[in-house]
Amino acid sequence: MNGPIRRIAMGVFLCMAVLLAGVTWYQVVRADELRADPRNPRPALAERGKERGLIVTVDGTVVAQSVEDPDDPRSFLREYPEGEAFAHVVGYSSFNVGNNALENTYSSQLRSRRDLTISDLVTALLGRDLRPHSIEITVDADLQRAALAALGDNRGAVVALDPRTGAVLTSVSAPSFDPESLLGDDASDRWLELLATEGEPTRDRATLELYAPGSTFKTVVAAAALDTESAEPGTTFADPVEFQLPGSEATISNASRRACNDGQTATLLQAFVRSCNTIFADLAIQIGAVDIGITAQALGFNQEIEYEWRMPEAVWNTPDLAEDPAALGQSGIGERDVRATPLHMAMVAAAVANDGVAVEPHLVRRIFDADGDTVEETEVSELGRAMTSETAMTLNQMMERVVTEGTGRGAAVPGVRVAGKTGTATGSGGFSNPWFIGFAPVDNPTIAIAVFIEGSATSGESASGGSLAAPIASELIEVWLSS
Amino acid sequence: MGRTSEGATIVAASLLAAFAVALVNFANGQGVDAQIGLTFLVFLISFGTLYFSVRAFAPRATPLLIPPVVALVGLGFFEIYRLDPARAGLQRWWMLIAAGTAALVLLLLARGGTRVLRLYRSMILFLSIGLLLLPNLPSDWGFPLRGLEVNGSRLWIILDAGVTQMQFQPAELAKIGMVVFFAAYLADHQKALREAHRRLGPIRLPEPRQLIPLLLAWGGSIFILVWQRDLGASLLLFAGFVLLLYAATGSTGYLVTGGLLSVGGAAAAGYLFDHVQRRMVAWLAPFEHYQDEGFQIAQGIFALGTGSLSGAGPGLGRPDLIPNASTDFIFAAVGEELGFAGTVAVLAIYALFFSVGLGIAFRSRDTFRKLLAAGLTFIMAVQVFLIIGGVLRVVPLTGITLPFMSYGGSALVGNMVLVALLLRISHEEAS
Repeated sequence: MNGPIRRIAMGVFLCMAVLLAGVTWYQVVRADELRADPRNPRPALAERGKERGLIVTVDGTVVAQSVEDPDDPRSFLREYPEGEAFAHVVGYSSFNVGNNALENTYSSQLRSRRDLTISDLVTALLGRDLRPHSIEITVDADLQRAALAALGDNRGAVVALDPRTGAVLTSVSAPSFDPESLLGDDASDRWLELLATEGEPTRDRATLELYAPGSTFKTVVAAAALDTESAEPGTTFADPVEFQLPGSEATISNASRRACNDGQTATLLQAFVRSCNTIFADLAIQIGAVDIGITAQALGFNQEIEYEWRMPEAVWNTPDLAEDPAALGQSGIGERDVRATPLHMAMVAAAVANDGVAVEPHLVRRIFDADGDTVEETEVSELGRAMTSETAMTLNQMMERVVTEGTGRGAAVPGVRVAGKTGTATGSGGFSNPWFIGFAPVDNPTIAIAVFIEGSATSGESASGGSLAAPIASELIEVWLSS
Repeated sequence: MGRTSEGATIVAASLLAAFAVALVNFANGQGVDAQIGLTFLVFLISFGTLYFSVRAFAPRATPLLIPPVVALVGLGFFEIYRLDPARAGLQRWWMLIAAGTAALVLLLLARGGTRVLRLYRSMILFLSIGLLLLPNLPSDWGFPLRGLEVNGSRLWIILDAGVTQMQFQPAELAKIGMVVFFAAYLADHQKALREAHRRLGPIRLPEPRQLIPLLLAWGGSIFILVWQRDLGASLLLFAGFVLLLYAATGSTGYLVTGGLLSVGGAAAAGYLFDHVQRRMVAWLAPFEHYQDEGFQIAQGIFALGTGSLSGAGPGLGRPDLIPNASTDFIFAAVGEELGFAGTVAVLAIYALFFSVGLGIAFRSRDTFRKLLAAGLTFIMAVQVFLIIGGVLRVVPLTGITLPFMSYGGSALVGNMVLVALLLRISHEEAS
């Protein structure tokens, strides 16, 4: 009888081995995957009510903080004192809706490491700090508030950078929302409401949405022309009322429906200052898709830009445009398939302001611990030289002329030398999307800015970069320089 | 290991249970309270009683059986306390009752030994069937003993003692009675079963005449359980019976037939019962049916995965998210809070228990005792495999409890009686 019992015993231990394999599979092999599964509420529940660090601006304005829950002293409530102005930068840390923006990217640094686990105990015994870290961001609170106010009821975005360091001075998207509304028990309903709200306030138009840059892209084309010595500011071009796209029935005309200059010839400078589509279409075809692509890429197009969160790539489609001169002509004025976020266009302005060197943008200045000591500091990281120093200097002058006597006169600030370029891109629903990119002061730029308006009934049908976006830039440059 | 170190291990395991309760308290910010001391005391009294009754009535019993049981009860208890302190309070009473019952079994068998069980095998069979039928008593009559239906299954009886009510699942005791009867009957007819047989192709089957009483007893109890919709218990009884038959005869035909019958039975059950169908769906594709059928299994798996290597810590995970965490899914709950370290420990302790149980069977010279020890260990092993395997998606989930760990008084009483019988057999075989 012991024979069968022995065999059953073997079976029993085989079954135990199967169970051991089972727990190994779930608790060792697939543990990380199961923990991270979006349907697993445990990680979010573990964070709920826990203290998180501060998010403060470089000027000391608190934009996110945790305060003790008056109803439950062991639990904390998250607060966003600046509300709408910082909604897309700071984001939110919500049990029901999830984490977003900086609250998401820096979640592991912002969270308290007090989990009451054995590894905590060991860490504490080793004398390490379990209190949450805080982060200091480069945004200027006054400028940020002013930017959201300046956009008013328009849909759009403003991004301002320090051209020397890439520090983001402002990044706003309008319409915005109150992140605190997503923290309560009714957060899921509020979230659905926001998604259904006209203008889609949860979208970050500043860094996460791609738009045709319109004539602001002429800055890139002009840089390529100067760099490749295809043209100089004084180089003359034929000045037709309509530019016939090669190999196509289509023509390109200027916003004025007239010739750029006198109908005979116009210089590159005149074409830039007056934003003439006819001549820039012609010029783009002359330079070629490859050379424009090289400049565009050096300015941040067609590559993933290192940022606090994953940004979509700005698009200049070299291979297709090299084959299709008509499309190249249309792309030379920032239309057709050319795409960029307002942050990308601010980087273009910043590179011109920074002697032709493009700098990676960043939002976080440093991470500091509960004692205020710096744990980690962001270092300035150059993307590389996008154009020669001479090209940058020439473009500086050309862009200043845009503001002093061209389409960008609305961006002028009394007593300050402002440089810029307007754009009025084709939008949706028959509306156009006004743009302005620029920087100031010209002799020592401390701010590079991109203003983008998404055309809607609010902006109206006749809105252009010069009439709508440039004055906003003017207002914000004044706020920045007076502080 | 001698009796003294056995005693020391019991004290140590009781201390660990109390310590785990303390950790849960700290995690909830409650600090030190009476629960910690009470837990230690109840563990000490329960298992102390068992320990001293072993010393008194079965002094030569193996000292290796009680320590793993205390450890398992302790591991289950802190998790029950963490999930539902009220249930933990009840479970403490049940620990006292279960240990008392086990001590009583040892006392009753002190003079006659397990021979008495063999002698009264028919009475035990009828008693077991009677116990199985108890839940079918009307729920609404005046008599203080009433049947009770929970979740579509009729497994419970209520003893209404006026001041307090007691719920009990008689099947937990009946299955032990059935094993006693099977072991006794097979021991009686072992020779005949092994020698008189017919051939069915390559498979040797015993003379049907010899099997008829057995099949009747077994078929009847399975019928009752299926009627009451206690499919887990019927599967358990079936598997235990087939394994015992194989152990007694050494004929692999029973294993093959049993395997085929259980697949057929499962298919029939799937056809007859909606909830079996739902369980099959939950087993095959829990994440595809996350919102409904698969929710419990998916939560169990998330709990295990989140627990990872070292676990969240007692009181710091969220095993309360798993439906029925303190009963069917106590293993996943322990896995979440104690991690891989905890689940491996649980499996190792069960493996130790089975080794000791099978070792007793192995060394027994008496056929009845050998079969009884084997049968009792088998049903315990099958039960552990079915429920942990169900949580781990190795087999479909059957609604049975994890021995010694799950919340539930009747199961604890039944399993402690089982331990008492194993102890008694090991004492007798050591003499």
